[in-house]
Amino acid sequence: MTGDEQGWEACLDADLPRALYLHIPFCVRKCSYCDFSSEPVGRETRQARAYADSLAAELSRLSAAGLLEDVTTAYVGGGTPTVLGMRLCSLVGDIRRAAPGIAELTCEANPDTLVPEVLDGLVEAGCTRLSVGVQSLDDGELVPLGRLHDAATAEDALRRAVSTGLAVSCDLMCGIPRQTPVSWQRTLSRAIATGIVHASVYPLTIEEGTPFSAAVEGGGMRRPSDDEQADLMLLAARQLESAGFSRYEVASYALPGFECRHNEAYWTGVPYLGLGTAASSMLGARGYRRLRVLAPRLPEAGPRVSRVRLTCRSAHSRLSADPSVSAQSYELEMLDARQAAAEDLMLSMRMVAGAPEGLLAHARRRIGAQAVDEALARVVGSGLARWSGARLVPTHMGWLLGNELYGSLWELSEGTIETRVYEP
Amino acid sequence: MPTNDTAHIRNFSVIAHIDHGKSTICDRILESTHTVEERDMEAQLLDSMDIERERGITIKSNAVRVAYEADDGETYQLDLIDTPGHVDFTYEVSRSLAACEGAVLVVDATQGVEAQTVSNALLAMNANLEIVPAINKIDLPSADPESCRAQIEEALALPADDAVLVSGKTGEGIHELLEAIVNLIPAPTGDASAPLRALILDSWFDAYRGVVAIVRVFDGRVRAGDHVRLMALGDTFDVEEVGVKRPRETPLPQLGVGEVGYLVTGLKEPELVKVGDTITLDEMPCAEPCSGYREAKPMVFTGVFPIDNDQYEDLRDALEKLKLNDPAITWQPETSVALGFGFRVGFLGLLHMEVVKERLEREFGLDLIATSPSVDYHAFLTNGEMLEVTSPQDMPDPSRIDRIEEPFLRAKVIVPPDFVGAVMDLTVEHRGIFKDMVYLGATAVEMHWQMPLSELILDYFDQLKSRTKGYASLDYEYDCYLPSDLVRLKILLAGEEVDALSFIVHRDKAYALGRGLCDKLKEIIPQQLYEVAIQAAMGGRIIARSTVRARRKDVLAKCYGGDISRKRKLLEKQKEGKKRMKAIGSVDVPQEAFMAILKVDE
Repeated sequence: MTGDEQGWEACLDADLPRALYLHIPFCVRKCSYCDFSSEPVGRETRQARAYADSLAAELSRLSAAGLLEDVTTAYVGGGTPTVLGMRLCSLVGDIRRAAPGIAELTCEANPDTLVPEVLDGLVEAGCTRLSVGVQSLDDGELVPLGRLHDAATAEDALRRAVSTGLAVSCDLMCGIPRQTPVSWQRTLSRAIATGIVHASVYPLTIEEGTPFSAAVEGGGMRRPSDDEQADLMLLAARQLESAGFSRYEVASYALPGFECRHNEAYWTGVPYLGLGTAASSMLGARGYRRLRVLAPRLPEAGPRVSRVRLTCRSAHSRLSADPSVSAQSYELEMLDARQAAAEDLMLSMRMVAGAPEGLLAHARRRIGAQAVDEALARVVGSGLARWSGARLVPTHMGWLLGNELYGSLWELSEGTIETRVYEP
Repeated sequence: MPTNDTAHIRNFSVIAHIDHGKSTICDRILESTHTVEERDMEAQLLDSMDIERERGITIKSNAVRVAYEADDGETYQLDLIDTPGHVDFTYEVSRSLAACEGAVLVVDATQGVEAQTVSNALLAMNANLEIVPAINKIDLPSADPESCRAQIEEALALPADDAVLVSGKTGEGIHELLEAIVNLIPAPTGDASAPLRALILDSWFDAYRGVVAIVRVFDGRVRAGDHVRLMALGDTFDVEEVGVKRPRETPLPQLGVGEVGYLVTGLKEPELVKVGDTITLDEMPCAEPCSGYREAKPMVFTGVFPIDNDQYEDLRDALEKLKLNDPAITWQPETSVALGFGFRVGFLGLLHMEVVKERLEREFGLDLIATSPSVDYHAFLTNGEMLEVTSPQDMPDPSRIDRIEEPFLRAKVIVPPDFVGAVMDLTVEHRGIFKDMVYLGATAVEMHWQMPLSELILDYFDQLKSRTKGYASLDYEYDCYLPSDLVRLKILLAGEEVDALSFIVHRDKAYALGRGLCDKLKEIIPQQLYEVAIQAAMGGRIIARSTVRARRKDVLAKCYGGDISRKRKLLEKQKEGKKRMKAIGSVDVPQEAFMAILKVDE
């Protein structure tokens, strides 16, 4: 085994989660395109505070059990975490206390709820990054999205956040109604001008059950065209790169040194723990055994299981009543070594760094060298990926046709992965 | 009820034009004789295949025994044999008629006599059956029983004064119909003491009991345990069980002379039990087999290939099993560069083809591709040899061909006079040759045409229906072979010829069809990683082209807090979709592309 491969295996075999995610399933109002788990409840409600209290209680329990010892990054996402108001700041403090090893702590925020006292409170409590949901800086485009802020409010929020010294990221969406290449470029340049160090760029997806989906079905809205979205994604790449940002993940751009490590963890086989409604966790076999000490009734992982994924299905009210890991219901998946290796290969293709030599060696061992090399030759042959030294990295075409690229590598897995539902 | 009292047996079929309500009448008969209690009544009980219920058509024959206490106080044993109505399934009708002494001819009171009313009645008359006309749907406001009577007399030369007026929907007139069956249809004749002579009407394969046959006993009797012989092939077996359907299978000690019932053979080889064969006792065989009936001849041929080549053997087994149940299909192995190993399957018509393909997929769990339908062309080579060509890819090089002949039909179209012009235009476009035209009273015209079968199988029937607002009915039979100026149109995908997409067409239509097909394929073939050129070529020359543009974007970029399962499930769904397509070279081609020729609007 080469040193690279050993490094990769060590990471996969990590005992404990290194990344921590907290989901805040509340919003002031639901946006027209969104199918994330969140409930519109208004600002700073009692139920949102009760939910935060219970997450904090669970954090201290996990911490006392030693499960958070290796955590180096944390991310509070949603929903809209800033609907918690000042409770979000104290929650950040709770996270810090529970996992003292954290070096990067990100909060998602929306411009309309990022009021000055919350912003200052977050900095004080130890938040290091802010990811602001802006989507567009064009008032005409913001209205149909169902956003609660206008472009000026968003720009102001970004500038204020930047001035506190936080690493500020902004989410932008392309292919939305009324958007043109010109308005998109304007959104990008205005966002860049605020001093952000990171941007996430997503093409609009019409998700089932959203108002946008109903509008498309009813004929009142055009389904975004793949061609237009491709052009807009290319425009964004060009414009951000010329402003000094580098793409490091399919949807993420950063100034040098400002990549989001928590985001990278998802795509590089790093184990993570998610708390809260709809939050996902990924643990190696050993990490899962540690978790089962706290929740002994979770199903045992057999000897062939090398990775376990849990997604919490409990509603926020249930979590508020009893936040303990053992009291929640989960969707649970168990992957064997081959499936986990295929998954890592697939996920690595979201990163500019691609699949390093160590991962490829690991995959060849787990899956079989011939099958892996054939699949690699196929994606290289079709122009979706290329070799950069000993690494396999995605091409421009691979960015735009990601599903094709990921799918070709995921096909290396064998058997079906059953999703089991666990009820306590 | 004694089972060999022939005087109280009535064997009859119900025949009709499609949609004239035959199956509903059969259901009412079962209900009113308490064969099936009302609470167990499923609509169209005799149509037991899913496809039959879904499409509302009868494809397979079925035989059910009913006990009926008539007004004369006697109890009669009625064997009801349900038959299909679509023109494709004529052979099933003739098969069923061979077992009967009479037939109820159902005519829709709102539609009157239509093409298959006539053709089925003629089949029944040829079989010397007593015909009991029944005018159905008299509950409808637009019912016109008087004009129906007149049409029956005029078009069929059948006395219709005593035609029974019924409503399958309300049950009105069903009693009168049963009385007419008992009184008008003769009891079967036959020699109870002669050696067994039984005709196989239908058969199917039962996984637990082997081949089960529906038989009509003409002489003698058959019992469980009898050692019997199949006369055509000479194989013998011991009868495991006999009985009748009421409509559930009910075992009986024996089937006597004149009776219709089922017979469990225990045989595991479907091909041994041929529909139309005669069963007799091995020790004491009858002298002559039962007279056969019109053999069904396939007219339309398509390639049928498994998408997954590992299913080739399964497909062969499935065809063998289906053949048992549907003797009209024929097949022989076929190889395609694009699709691998499969079979060239012969069908009675396009509906028959669709039904068979659907049954193969549903009942045998296969994923299949059917290619463009073709007919049986005769290619006369310059050396005087004649080749039968049922697949475009078998067409020899034009330099070796002296001439090509194709099958022509005698087609009969019946329409109201207003639509004569529309039918003229349509049929001439389809290379039809007008023969003559007869007025059937003031409301209908019967037009006679000679037209190529290849034209009829494309879209003629659908077009006929649409251009005549559904009024036209069509019946056809084989006429003769005539020479035609035919060419092979090749289709190329990304520069490579795809043999399974090529077809044979009249030279005058090659350009229009080539262009239409390129456009249609462009709609059907999804965007790929690269641009895909679709070209139609004739004799090495490209005559049409379209382009499927490359897919530019397909990525789910948004991350849901590490919810990778969600992304992975999306990819798995995408993979499932691909499985339903055939990779030809670097192009993924959906199943329906191979049938695109049927969907080209000219």
